[in-house]
Amino acid sequence: MAKRNIDVVVSSVRQLTSRVREYQLTAADGKALPVYEPGAHIAVHTDSADGSLLVRHYSLLGGTENADDPRHTYRIAVQREDRARGSAHIHATFAPGIRLQVAPPGNNFPLDRRDTHSLLIAGGIGITPIFSMARSLARRHREFSVVYAGRAPEQMALREALEHIAGTRVRFHYSDLAGSPNLQALLRDQPAGTTAYVCGPAPMVHATHEAAAALGWAPQRVRSELFTAGPTGDEVPFEVELRQSGRVIQVGRDASILDALTAAKVPVLWDCRRGECGLCPLPVVSADGPIDHRDRYLSDEEHASGETLCVCVSRIRGKRLVLDA
Amino acid sequence: MNQPIEFIPNLNLPGSFEPGGFADHTTPLIRNCWYVAGLASEISRDIISRRLLGVDVALYRTLAGEPIAVRNRCPHRSFPLAKGRLEGDILVCGYHGMQFDPSGRCVNMPSMLITPSNGQVRSFPLAERGPLVWIWMGDADRADEALVPDTHWLHDAGWKSVNGQFHIKSDYVAMHENLLDQTHFPFLHPGAIGTPEYARSKLHVRQEGEVVVIDRALKNSPPPGVYGVPTGLTGKPVDRYSEARFVSPALHTAYARIVDPDHVSGTAHTYRFNITHIFTPETNGSIHYWWFNSRDFKLDDQEADDYLHTASAKAYLEDVDALEWIMDVVKNDVEPQFDLNFAPDKPGLMMRRTLYDRAAAEAGVCLAPVTAEKV
Repeated sequence: MAKRNIDVVVSSVRQLTSRVREYQLTAADGKALPVYEPGAHIAVHTDSADGSLLVRHYSLLGGTENADDPRHTYRIAVQREDRARGSAHIHATFAPGIRLQVAPPGNNFPLDRRDTHSLLIAGGIGITPIFSMARSLARRHREFSVVYAGRAPEQMALREALEHIAGTRVRFHYSDLAGSPNLQALLRDQPAGTTAYVCGPAPMVHATHEAAAALGWAPQRVRSELFTAGPTGDEVPFEVELRQSGRVIQVGRDASILDALTAAKVPVLWDCRRGECGLCPLPVVSADGPIDHRDRYLSDEEHASGETLCVCVSRIRGKRLVLDA
Repeated sequence: MNQPIEFIPNLNLPGSFEPGGFADHTTPLIRNCWYVAGLASEISRDIISRRLLGVDVALYRTLAGEPIAVRNRCPHRSFPLAKGRLEGDILVCGYHGMQFDPSGRCVNMPSMLITPSNGQVRSFPLAERGPLVWIWMGDADRADEALVPDTHWLHDAGWKSVNGQFHIKSDYVAMHENLLDQTHFPFLHPGAIGTPEYARSKLHVRQEGEVVVIDRALKNSPPPGVYGVPTGLTGKPVDRYSEARFVSPALHTAYARIVDPDHVSGTAHTYRFNITHIFTPETNGSIHYWWFNSRDFKLDDQEADDYLHTASAKAYLEDVDALEWIMDVVKNDVEPQFDLNFAPDKPGLMMRRTLYDRAAAEAGVCLAPVTAEKV
């Protein structure tokens, strides 16, 4: 809970494809930023168009194909989704000199450095953590291969940089021409003991797990990031009334209840911010719409009861939530 | 984008680096380097802990024998994990039973119904080479095993080694400088490894990238005890060729060749000694020190083993004492002193500048000479 957000400045913007831009975020005080390892992400906090808080998570790229980022700089790539307000807003407003905040890096998708062979699978913008993993494996001269699937070459961010890093170990799959990749064949062709890391659209991630299971792979041999807590794009804004203090806090579409409470300096307990640690559930007095539970901590019975919710990831589809806090 | 960049903050780090500086005991430790975590024989199914570059590390082996290093600090409540236990390959914290696999990933938190996906203890890359287990404490993405220094003589069949270790209250910069400075041999180690003729013999210094190499040849002169006794050449004029290298912040090697021009075989005979000095900073002011004295003759000679072990340990203890005395003065004497330098100090200064530039580079400060083209 001592993990305070860090002030950063957008120091560079680079158009990678028609829909993907790369941003460098540099510490406003110039001090070294917390270190991280491949697979790590940061939460980017900024103001949305209507002035409410906007929080989005992006994987850290680590640098270019040639150079590491300086220690006061983080590098992310953001794909503009037509229906996603967050990324469209970031594309519209993030220019060099813009100041914003990031949370210290977290890593739910670590690369096991002890793998004898790592298979990296990226789909679309899922390339971002895979790119930092490929950089790490290549510079340590480890055994790996990487498959990067996308609709067409010109739409695939970091494609040339990845080719530069991975050389003959990379295979590109263009689904406009070739359809979905045959994941079972891909996994079957791997050396014994391979660990696979997959990041991409949910159907591709699920298909990879299923293909591995069909081949009899132990479940821990396929690693993926859990995106259950991610935004679905149809979130609605609502207000939270805190019964004990009488305060009313607005929760925008693009921020969690926890983000809104902490921005309003309401002291709440939290740690993981991904619905796992169980510190943040608050008792619900009333809600005028259904609760959208997105945590892994509470039981099915607790979810069904509607008496509590994890404010870090869960929200309501209504106008007003009253919490006994 | 063609934007003005005045508003982009410069990297602002504690401490400052000036071009032309020399490392000393206050310089940040070099982290992007393979250091020795311990002897392979020290790392077992019994978890041990050791502070390396200021970080407490727990070391153990999996059931398959693979050495594992993780931070000796549970990410939950900082309990030292080495005081926990192993269940198969799983490290179990002794406080709340949090469980970590050999990659450092949490696989169970007994007080929680689900396993937290963000529960990890930092793990460190290791590389086992013969009697040594090397560790990478810096940026894990740079931990290329091809960078582990060559010490093949420590485990090749044609060599025999004796070894020992010290824990020293000094700094690795001073220790490296001591080893690149052979003019102290006859005075700090009289009779054992130095002779006055040797101290005055012509010294050649060169730098190969970050490696500093010195070599000397002293011909037709009786060897000092440490070479004379095991070879049986005491008092006999021999040619002595020696080369000492600052290989990396973790390693200094010294190769000596003693050539007997008048061997019973009728042709000149060469006796080789490879001496390996390994340093891992515990902190800026203390080091773990392992030494090996290896030879390519009398491989099964217990008397040679005993003599070389005793003579080496005595000489290195003299270095340890000297460096601890110096560190005591440097840290506690309040009047500043800028030490004098003489010509034979050149290799030590080259090493100290290399360490300084590397420390600056790790801090993100480029001390490369500014060229006219640079803005």
